[in-house]
Amino acid sequence: MSNGKPGRRVVVTGLGVVTPIGSTVPEFWASLKAGKSGVTPLAGFPLDDLKILIAAQIKDFDPKQRLKHFKRDRIITLADRYSWFAAAAADEAIKMAGLEMPLADPYRSACIIGSGAGGLTTFETAYRDLFIHNKRATHPLTLLRIIGSSAAAHVGIEFGVKGPTFATCSACSTATHAIGIARDYIRDGMADVAIAGASESVINYGTMKAWQALHVLSPEGCFPFAKKRNGTVLADGAGILVLESLEHAQARGATILAELRGFGMASDSQDMVKPTIEGPSVAMQTAIEEAGITPDQVDYLNAHGTATADNDINETKAIKNVFKDHAYKLAISSTKSMHGHPLGAGGGIEAVATIMAMRESWAPPTIGLDEPGEGCDLDYIPNVGREMKLRYAMSNSLAFGGLNTSLVFGPAP
Amino acid sequence: MDEVATKVIEILKKHMKEPRDDISLDTQLTDLKIESLDLAMIVFDIEDGFGIEIPYNANEEVEAFKTVGSVVDRVKSLIAAKQASAAKA
Repeated sequence: MSNGKPGRRVVVTGLGVVTPIGSTVPEFWASLKAGKSGVTPLAGFPLDDLKILIAAQIKDFDPKQRLKHFKRDRIITLADRYSWFAAAAADEAIKMAGLEMPLADPYRSACIIGSGAGGLTTFETAYRDLFIHNKRATHPLTLLRIIGSSAAAHVGIEFGVKGPTFATCSACSTATHAIGIARDYIRDGMADVAIAGASESVINYGTMKAWQALHVLSPEGCFPFAKKRNGTVLADGAGILVLESLEHAQARGATILAELRGFGMASDSQDMVKPTIEGPSVAMQTAIEEAGITPDQVDYLNAHGTATADNDINETKAIKNVFKDHAYKLAISSTKSMHGHPLGAGGGIEAVATIMAMRESWAPPTIGLDEPGEGCDLDYIPNVGREMKLRYAMSNSLAFGGLNTSLVFGPAP
Repeated sequence: MDEVATKVIEILKKHMKEPRDDISLDTQLTDLKIESLDLAMIVFDIEDGFGIEIPYNANEEVEAFKTVGSVVDRVKSLIAAKQASAAKA
C-alpha cells in the first residue's frame, strides 16, 4: 500500500488462467459469457465416506502437452498439480505480454506466485504410501512438490527471473496479496516487471474431509448472494498477471490491458472465521483512495462472494459501508458462481475476469441467483451478464483469518 | 552384461534427458549428465527394483556412484548381503 507516497505507475500487460471452466483466458472468458458452471461430481480418487460429492475440478489438464515446450525447467511435468497450473497460467500471461524469454533484465524482474496450501495432494499421496501402503519411502520429489514456494520457483526458473521470487500465503487472499506486493515492488522502483498471482490444487480425500468437518461446503452448488446458498464449492485453478511499470511497457511497445490503480489490505484481527465489516471496508477504501478516485467512479465490483452464509451478507454490508448510496447502483458479481472457489488462486482468476470485463465492456453475472438472500439487496448481476462501460473496476478477496485485500483497476493510460 | 547390469542401465536411461545406447560398465555417471536430483530418483528406482536400501547421501562424494560398473557392483553386494541375512533368519 502507498503510505501516502507516490511512485511509478503500474500496468497489466499479460493475463493467464487455468480454471475448471477453461484452461486459457479465451476459453475462460467464453465460459463466463455463456454463464457456464464448472461444478461437477467429485472424481479422480476414492470417495469412500465423503458426504460432499461435488467440486469444481480441472479434469482435462495434460502437463505433458501444455508444458512440453518448457526449456529451462526440466522437471516441471514431475511437479505437483498446483505448480503445473501456475506454470501454464504464467506461460499464457507472458506470451500475451509479448515478453522475450529469458527476461532481458532478470534482476529487475519478480516472480511472486502464492498458494494457500502448496502441494497438498502430494502430501496425501506420500502419507497414503507410508501409512496405508507401508511403502519404504516417499517418491524422491515429494518434498520439492509439497513446498509452497515451488510454483514460484518453477516459473522463475523457466522464465529466467532472478529478482524477488517467493510465494505469498493468506488463504483466499493469497493471489491478491501477491499482485499487491508485486505492484509495490514495481511502483517503488525495485523491479520493472513481475509475474504475480497464485495457484491452488487441493481437491483430494483429506482436504474434502477437512472442509467437510468445518461445515462450510455446499452439497449442491455455489450460489453466491442467493437465498438458497448453503456453502461454497472448492475449485482447482491458477490466475496470473504480468505487471510492468508504465515506462517499461511503453518502451517496448507492449499492449497495456489495464492500469493497477489501487491496492488495499487490512486485517480484521478478530476471529479465524467470523468476518468484520471494518476490515473489508478499510481494504476497499484504501484501494479506492490509492486509485485517486471516489467510490462512485467504480463501475463494477468482482466480489469475494463465496456463497457462505457469513461472507455474502458481511461483504454486502462492507460494500454499503464504503460505497454508501452508490452501493445500490454498483454492478457487482461473484464469478465464483461459475468457476467455484479456488481458494488462494481466486484473486488471480478474478483479477483476470475483472480486466477482461473492462476490456470487453461486459460484466459477468452471478449465476444461480434466482432469489436473493436476506440482507443481500444489491445489484449482483443475476444470471445474465451485462453490456456496460467499465472505467474503474474493483476485485475483492476476503480470507479466513480476516485477511482482506482489494484491487482497483483503471483504463490503460 | 548380466541381469543386474541390464536393469541398472535401464533405470539410468529412464532418468536421462537424452538416453544413449552406448552405456557400458566403464561409463562415468558424470558423462551421462546425471545430476543430484536425477540420482535421487535413480536410487529410489533401484531400491524399488531390487528390494534393497542403498546408503547414499547427496552431500557426499560416493565412490559407488562414479561409474555404471561401480553402481552395479554396489547393487550386487547389497543384494548378496540381503540374501545372506535372509538365509540366517
